[in-house]
Amino acid sequence: MHSALWVSKTGLNAQDHGLTTISNNLANVSTTGFKKDRAVFEDLIYQIQRQPGALSSQDSRLPSGLQLGTGVKVAGTQKIHTTGSLEETSQPLDLAINGRGFFQIALPDGQIAYTRDGTFHMDAEGNIVNSQGYLLEPNITIPDQTNTMTISRDGIVSVTQFGDTTPQEIGQIDVVDFINPTGLQAVGGNLFLETAASGAPEIGVASEDGFGSIEQGFLENSNVKVVEEMVKMITVQRAYEMNSKVVSSADQMLQYLAQNT
Amino acid sequence: MDRALYIAMSGAKQNTLGQTAEANNLANVSTTGFRRDFEQARSMPVFGDYYPTRAYAMEERPASDFNPGPLVETGNDLDLAIDNQGWFAVLDANGNEAYTRRGDFQVDGLGRLVNGQNQQLIGAGGPIVLPPYEKVQIAADGTVSIQGVGEEPAVIAGIEQIKLVNPDLTQMEKGEDGLFRLRDAEPGAIQPADPTVQVASGYVEGSNVSAVHSLTQIMSLHRQYEMQVKMMSTADENAQTTASIMEIQ
Repeated sequence: MHSALWVSKTGLNAQDHGLTTISNNLANVSTTGFKKDRAVFEDLIYQIQRQPGALSSQDSRLPSGLQLGTGVKVAGTQKIHTTGSLEETSQPLDLAINGRGFFQIALPDGQIAYTRDGTFHMDAEGNIVNSQGYLLEPNITIPDQTNTMTISRDGIVSVTQFGDTTPQEIGQIDVVDFINPTGLQAVGGNLFLETAASGAPEIGVASEDGFGSIEQGFLENSNVKVVEEMVKMITVQRAYEMNSKVVSSADQMLQYLAQNT
Repeated sequence: MDRALYIAMSGAKQNTLGQTAEANNLANVSTTGFRRDFEQARSMPVFGDYYPTRAYAMEERPASDFNPGPLVETGNDLDLAIDNQGWFAVLDANGNEAYTRRGDFQVDGLGRLVNGQNQQLIGAGGPIVLPPYEKVQIAADGTVSIQGVGEEPAVIAGIEQIKLVNPDLTQMEKGEDGLFRLRDAEPGAIQPADPTVQVASGYVEGSNVSAVHSLTQIMSLHRQYEMQVKMMSTADENAQTTASIMEIQ
């Protein structure tokens, strides 16, 4: 059948995936610590219909051949790990990493997940947990009768208790970093998992050795830029429309052939 | 019987091939660094024992369009676009050097610099591998400098040089994998780096497909095709008329 039909189908398919990526970015425009995705397109292989340089007669050669492309596909989505803007919330358990790094979250199945979302809470036992109730790793328990809690830029958690004016150090929040954060697997809930592409996690102390500093009372906004996504959406829509125009053109050609011969 | 029917058929068939080539251009209207393929038809006289009265249409892809595509600002330090002419050198599936304008680079788990199609970028001293870094900067001449993890901003150091080449465009040809190579180049042959090629960091180069042009071309091929089909039915009518004259009343 008409191969243009299939080629433009790949175009429609790819633009459709592109739109899904954009709409997910836009849907997460106010998700704390969200990192936007970029759809990566690549052209499919080319088919050689006629080899350039082949003989066209006994002593002449074709000066150029015919190599037809077979369309486009979405090679993948690439997470863009630029830092979102920091927003002050004044909540003592709201943390943001200003710079590189992730918080570690212990999943119920024992795995460690990584996140930039620093919206932490306290559970009934005084443990620091994230919005889903999973424990921060390493686990930090805030004792009863705590008056104030301070988290320093390098992650040291200290509390003062009623009747005591000297702050006590109760734990340390580690940050981890990856050589290729783009390779992390997003699993939803603002969490990422380590993959072979991301490299092994490197645990460190915040605001030292190139890690970002922990900012208490701040949250990191999503790094989605609405205007940019809207412009991308327009581009995708127009590209989609034009590819569908090719589908209908190829269809009409076949229809015309069927009706007029 | 005259061969008009066959000639019209060959025209229609070649039109569908042209349509495929343009559809591929249009499908890749948002592929980073994509180069549009030209599509043209040529008349091929049929040589034989007799006088060459007939000419068939032959569709071909003479070359790719090397005009630069639009630069899109991304703000990502590892995204590179070549300013004006020049090419990035990457490793193809066979480990040989090939050229691309695709500059959406990222670091993979082993620290290698790869583009969106997962092709490894080549530097002055072979494939580029970056150590863990805190900040990376790529200068206009392709020098990669990094501030290593835990180092002061003052010690930012140039560590790698991206290989940028600028061979004669008339010799460049798109391969089956979409990468460009030099026509008639020996496998494993490499091109010298050209120090005059400039890159812009924080930008990617879009596809150089003009959607309007491709769409117009598709419409035009569509009409041509209809005319070929019309020719076929005319040839058919002629044959019928001839047959009816010949019929014994």
